[in-house]
Amino acid sequence: MNEKIEDEQKDIEKEEEDDNEFVIDFTTSSAIHRVSLKFLIVYIPIFWFSGLAVATFWYGYTISPVPWIIKLLFLPLILLGFSFLFIFSCFFFSKLLLIFINLIHEPKEGIFRTDKGDTDFEFWKIRTEIKKITLWLIRNWPLPWIDVIAFRWFSIKMDFTSHLNDAWCDAEFISFGKHVTIGQGAVVMSSMVVGNYLIIKKIRFDDYALIGGQSTIAPGTHIGEDTVIGAVSTTTLNQDLEEGWIYSGIPARKLKPNKYAEMRRDIIHKVDVDEEEKIETEHEVNIDDDKKHLIKRKRGGDNK
Amino acid sequence: MSVPNSMRVGPFCASVLAKKKYMILYVFLIWVTFLPAILEIWWYWQMLWHEDRPLHFYVFLPLFLLVIYVSIVFLAIIFTKILLVIISVFHKPREGVFLRDTSDKDYRYWSLRNTLKKWPTWLAHKFPFPFLDNVCFRILGTKTKFSNSLFEGWVDTEFMEFGKNVVVGQGAIVQSSVIIGNFLIIRKTIIEENVRIGAHVIIMPGTHIGKNCILNTWSSTMVGQELEEGWIYNGGPAKKFKKNRFFEDIPIEKLSKSIGDIDGLLKKYDEQREARGTTKKRLLHRKDKEEHTTEEKE
Repeated sequence: MNEKIEDEQKDIEKEEEDDNEFVIDFTTSSAIHRVSLKFLIVYIPIFWFSGLAVATFWYGYTISPVPWIIKLLFLPLILLGFSFLFIFSCFFFSKLLLIFINLIHEPKEGIFRTDKGDTDFEFWKIRTEIKKITLWLIRNWPLPWIDVIAFRWFSIKMDFTSHLNDAWCDAEFISFGKHVTIGQGAVVMSSMVVGNYLIIKKIRFDDYALIGGQSTIAPGTHIGEDTVIGAVSTTTLNQDLEEGWIYSGIPARKLKPNKYAEMRRDIIHKVDVDEEEKIETEHEVNIDDDKKHLIKRKRGGDNK
Repeated sequence: MSVPNSMRVGPFCASVLAKKKYMILYVFLIWVTFLPAILEIWWYWQMLWHEDRPLHFYVFLPLFLLVIYVSIVFLAIIFTKILLVIISVFHKPREGVFLRDTSDKDYRYWSLRNTLKKWPTWLAHKFPFPFLDNVCFRILGTKTKFSNSLFEGWVDTEFMEFGKNVVVGQGAIVQSSVIIGNFLIIRKTIIEENVRIGAHVIIMPGTHIGKNCILNTWSSTMVGQELEEGWIYNGGPAKKFKKNRFFEDIPIEKLSKSIGDIDGLLKKYDEQREARGTTKKRLLHRKDKEEHTTEEKE
């Protein structure tokens, strides 16, 4: 009997060891760009059709009866307009392609094999490739704010108060709150390739989240409100970062509570306790009277 | 998605200019590559431009510009290759530790090679066609397969060897030459099959990475470090983290522990589909398959 119990215990230990080995507590990358003809076939119609849109307008410009000096004067402006026409028509056609592809196969979260036969994997590759071209175009243009339009166009919840122009960011399964800032060279991945497996999971940024430069955000991360992640730090798969803390390190650990958030709100609740009369009084410090109406009060401030 | 400015390290070659006169060669290269392109445009103009019916010209113009871009990249690569071959006749590139001084011949020629390679690599990387990048790597002397994805990182173009299915992560740096103080170190970096290099990893010259390795983000290797086959590495300098078993056939339930509630997710999708009124034959089929396989294993 004893032997049997020992064997069972050993089995359980082995299973636990196995489980530990299969836990994904590290972060790799999602940079798969395999060369196949598919990509070219996707690119050619997008470029061709959007180039045609520009070409028609250019033809109209060349044959218009305006004197040549005025034409020359307005040439820079028209070239700028044409570049935007090209970019936005690329948007349009890539979105059309995306809708068509998503009808064939719906994008979804989960674990998939990175084999040639796996439809989820193959469609993920095509999706990223289509999105990449338009995002590349808009990010290489000297108007950094408009890449928010690109992300919104690919149906990501985002706001113009957020900023991620200098970060590498996946364009699906991400939701942003308001006033999210993502630092230079940060990598935000909602998909990750681990060995033979592709993992896709949604990332959520709540309001006022701040990601430091060169940090890596793994899929499934949830970043709470007012949370700061320091530079050169990573999160692991499915990590849940509590709201109002400063995190840093590889993997990200709690460093200290985020007191700067309260200063940012220009309001500090100060509680004084009178020992003799046992009365608590609450003041609001660090605020001008004429700015009070701008503040979104958090803790029952509206009642007073 | 698209590589941002602070991570797009563009040309895959060190930008040390040992002598200013190398710039003349560089400018010459740019000049030469554009000459055939201009000829192509002239030919296109002659072929299709007609004052009365400009439709042909404009309809095929966007496609033709794409072709011109690709041909410019190929021309740049070919002219650079010719120049590199001529240079290697005078002095063969070799590994070793050299003085970082213009009197050192190896240092001078290393700088010259990199100056020449800058133009085609920059051109090939400027547009998100991964295949142009790969062609550039292959012709300029990196041993690599087309199944690799090196597009998002920074990879040196000489004394490199890649196996199949290598993934270089976003913003990772894979070098075969490095300048330390007064010395230039050139050593061959070998990366074998199925290696997954995480984001922001730095790999120093002389590193040998075995098959089926995974490098965690922000880990780095030392000069001449050997990474054993089939492990997950972490930290700088990289140390063994745990055994890599993700290349085996793992039952998905075990993986799903770390990703969270996978069945719930799939159910959510099913409900969404039902709400839309579409059937989900494929999903059901897949689930049946999974059950079958688990039964067989049992």
